[in-house]
Parts: sequence; C-alpha cells; structure tokens
Amino acid sequence: MAGIGVATGAGAGLLLRRADTFAFGACVLRPPGARPEPEFLAACLRCGQCVEACPFGSLQMAVGARMGIANGTPYVDSRAVPCYLCQGHTDLKCIMVCPTGALEPVADPADIRMGVAVIDESVCLAYSRTVCRICWHSCPLPNQAITFDQRLRPVVDEEACIGCGLCDYACPTETSSIPIRPACADNGAAIPP
Amino acid sequence: MRGTQKHIFRWVWARRTTAAVFLLLLVLGRYEWFPWLKGNTAATTVCRIVPFADPLAAIEVTLATRRAEIDLLVGAGVLLAFGVLAGPVFCGWVCPLGLLLDLNDALRRGWTQRLHRGSWLVRGLRVPAEIKYGFLGLALGFALVARLPAFQTLSPINIVAWAIVFSAWPALLVVGALVAVEHIASRVWCRSLCPLGALYSLVGRYGLLRVRVDPARAGKLRCERCTQSCPMGIRVTEDYVVAGKSAIDHPDCTRCGACVDACPSGALRLGMRATRDTSGVSDHTTPGADTDVRQCRSRRPGKTWRRV
Repeated sequence: MAGIGVATGAGAGLLLRRADTFAFGACVLRPPGARPEPEFLAACLRCGQCVEACPFGSLQMAVGARMGIANGTPYVDSRAVPCYLCQGHTDLKCIMVCPTGALEPVADPADIRMGVAVIDESVCLAYSRTVCRICWHSCPLPNQAITFDQRLRPVVDEEACIGCGLCDYACPTETSSIPIRPACADNGAAIPP
Repeated sequence: MRGTQKHIFRWVWARRTTAAVFLLLLVLGRYEWFPWLKGNTAATTVCRIVPFADPLAAIEVTLATRRAEIDLLVGAGVLLAFGVLAGPVFCGWVCPLGLLLDLNDALRRGWTQRLHRGSWLVRGLRVPAEIKYGFLGLALGFALVARLPAFQTLSPINIVAWAIVFSAWPALLVVGALVAVEHIASRVWCRSLCPLGALYSLVGRYGLLRVRVDPARAGKLRCERCTQSCPMGIRVTEDYVVAGKSAIDHPDCTRCGACVDACPSGALRLGMRATRDTSGVSDHTTPGADTDVRQCRSRRPGKTWRRV
C-alpha cells in the first residue's frame, strides 16, 4: 500500500513539476533572508515560529485557497505592517527561529533581498508637482535605496533596495505609489496575491 | 464490588486534558510574554532552545530540500524514538485534530444510540485502515519529486492549529467537512487516512507501552465494551482478549485508554510490563465474574450489538 502511495505521489509530483509547480502558489513578500521561492517552499515547514517571533507583528500566516501551495508560509503585507528589520534588536528574529533554514542568516541588513520598491509615477505626489519625500524619510537606507533626481523626484536604486516595505507603508497616497515587487516575481512564482 | 468498578480515574479525561493543554500552550505561544513553547504542530521550540519537530514534516522537508538540518532531525528523532517506544501516543494524547475528532465522535455516539441498532449508521462506514500507509507513501513520494512538503500545506492537523493559533478561521472549512464526514464514517481520518498516524503506527509496532490484558480477569464477560469503545476500531475482544493475548499489539492502538475505561471487570491496564499471570488462582478471586454478566445485560437489555 505504501509502495502504491509512493508511486502515485511521485507521479503526481512529476506531473505538477512539468506544469510548473510554483504557479500554484501566490507570489507574496517573504520575510528577510528567505531563499529563492522554489527552495523556500520546499524548505518551509509551515510551523509559524517566525510569525510568532516577529517583534513588530510584520509577518502573517498565509492561509486561504488563493495561497495554494504557499499555505501556512509567512509573508509580509507591507501596506499593513512593513518589515522593520528588527531595529532595536540584535538579530533578525524570524531568521533566528527558523528550524529548517528556509530563512537563511544574512550578514548585513543591506544584503537582504525581499523585493524591490517600484514607484508608480502616475499616482506618486512627487511626480505630480508636489513636494513629498516621505518614502525617502522612511527608508532604512536613505540616499542609497531611494535617491532624488534633479527635479526632486524619488528614484529607487534596484541594486540597493532591500524590499522591506517601509516606504510602501509610509506612502500617503490612497493606493500606495511605491508598492513592493516581491523577489518571487523575478524567480518563478507569477501569480500576484 | 471491585469487579463492577466504576473507574474514578478515567483515561479519557487525562488524554483530553493533555491535548487541550498542548493546544493552550500553542495559543499562548502566540504572545511575546510566553516564550516557553513557540511554534505549531509541525515544529515547536520549547523553552527557547529545545527544538521538536513532527517526524513526518521533518522527513518531508529533508526529502524536498535534499539538505539535512541537524537541529530539525534531532528534534524529529526524539519524537520518533518516543513513537518507537510508545506507538502512536501523539494521536490520542497530543494531536489537536485528534481532540476535536474525539469530541466529535462522542457526539456521534450520542445520536447513533437512538437509532435502530441494525442501522448501518451505528456501525458507520468502514474504510480499510491500510489506506493510510498509501497516503504516507503519497506524501513522501510527492515531497521527493515535486520538492514540496505538500502534506504540511494540506494537513488538517496543521489547519486546526493555524486556525486556533493564528485566527485563520476560514481554513476550518476543511476540518468542518471532515467533522461532518466522520458522523457517517466514524474516525475515518485517524483510522484510515492520516499519514502521520501511519508513520507512528509503522515505527511503534514493537513498542513497550501497551494496553495489557490480565489473563485472570479477561474474557469472562465478553461484553465487548472494549471493542465498542475503541476509537481506532480495533476488535479488542475478539482479537486480543478472547484470543488470550497478553497485550493489545495492534499497530493502530493509540494507547488512549478508552477500552481500559470501558472495561467493567478491570481486565485491561495501560502499562510497560505484562500483567503477571495469576490464572492458577481459583475463579472466585476473579472479582465478580458472574455478577458482571448480569450487570452488563441489565444495563443494556437485549443489546448484543457488535460494532466491529
């Protein structure tokens, strides 16, 4: 009976891999230190210890049909609570408690790549002749991740941005002018949440 | 009379209490001021440092990532070693879903008692118990090939814990469906479907902790209450007590003690060592052998139903 099960499971697995397994999960903003999405989904135990460890309540548990195979994994809804990178704490707590290494230790907070902030120029106040630099003020890497062009409009440096979502959280426009594109959007999982 | 003993201590309440306490600790772990137990059914950290991991989850993740995380494997190994010694104790004593389904089954027993005893609903729909080994293989094969610990994503055990700990209530719909199904097919998840239970059943085959049968007291009544009470559908009376076995060594036995609670003659006991054979002692020392038969019959007049 177990043999039949293994065979069926392996067969189903093969089929699903061929159909690109990772299209069945939502692409969400992962906690800092997360491995690339396919590896993360393989390694995440769905135990929720990172969610419990987060001192700011930034991490949420992905539960629901739309999450697909990402059910039970942690994610950051940066418009609700962004990742504060454990400012005031010695370590990044979620990485410390992860039992499987789905979240890997990072040497320097600047090495984190959760995603990249993308400025929506059609709604951004600074791009519509208003003086606004709230994203720059909230950025943990000011003058590196967010700089200004000659007309004092914010510009994101994709190399430096870590995707913590602090700018997204602080943005005063109704719908955020600076949403975060999760790292998984660049490495496989395509379905937005 | 001792033979008709009403058990003051009942295993069922001990078992429900431990499961409820575990669930309570999981819920408390949600809060920052409670650092002593963090995590979920898949993995927990006790007192900040001691890691425990669900053996099936750990195996799945190891297969999926092809990497060995020492902490994880040690934490899973401890629980697996306990499983080797004591069998699927987790199922009866810790599992939050087990607790929910156990309470649900008590409801089921309530309403089926009113039915005509010949009704198939009384016995319930039976699904072969071996299917769960197939599901275990399915979970492992899928984890290896698709590189996903799929059972951890779908597991109703995790879903119950997520729902209660992380207030993810909509996920309970899945569990609600299971609860409804179990009113027709009694304990079908634990008996026939759960891959985690299958893993514990596999490794716990030669465990030490068992329900022991007292050969001196056993088999006098054949009231079959042990068989009727068994949540895992083990035919305790026929296969063990009357067959003269000294212990119930069925792999599915979760050591929940339901049969011990149900036994009116005190022939069953949960323990590590076999009961000493006192069958040489004459029969009148066996407490209330004949009175019990009368008691059994007078309580349930005409009911000789067998829920096998």
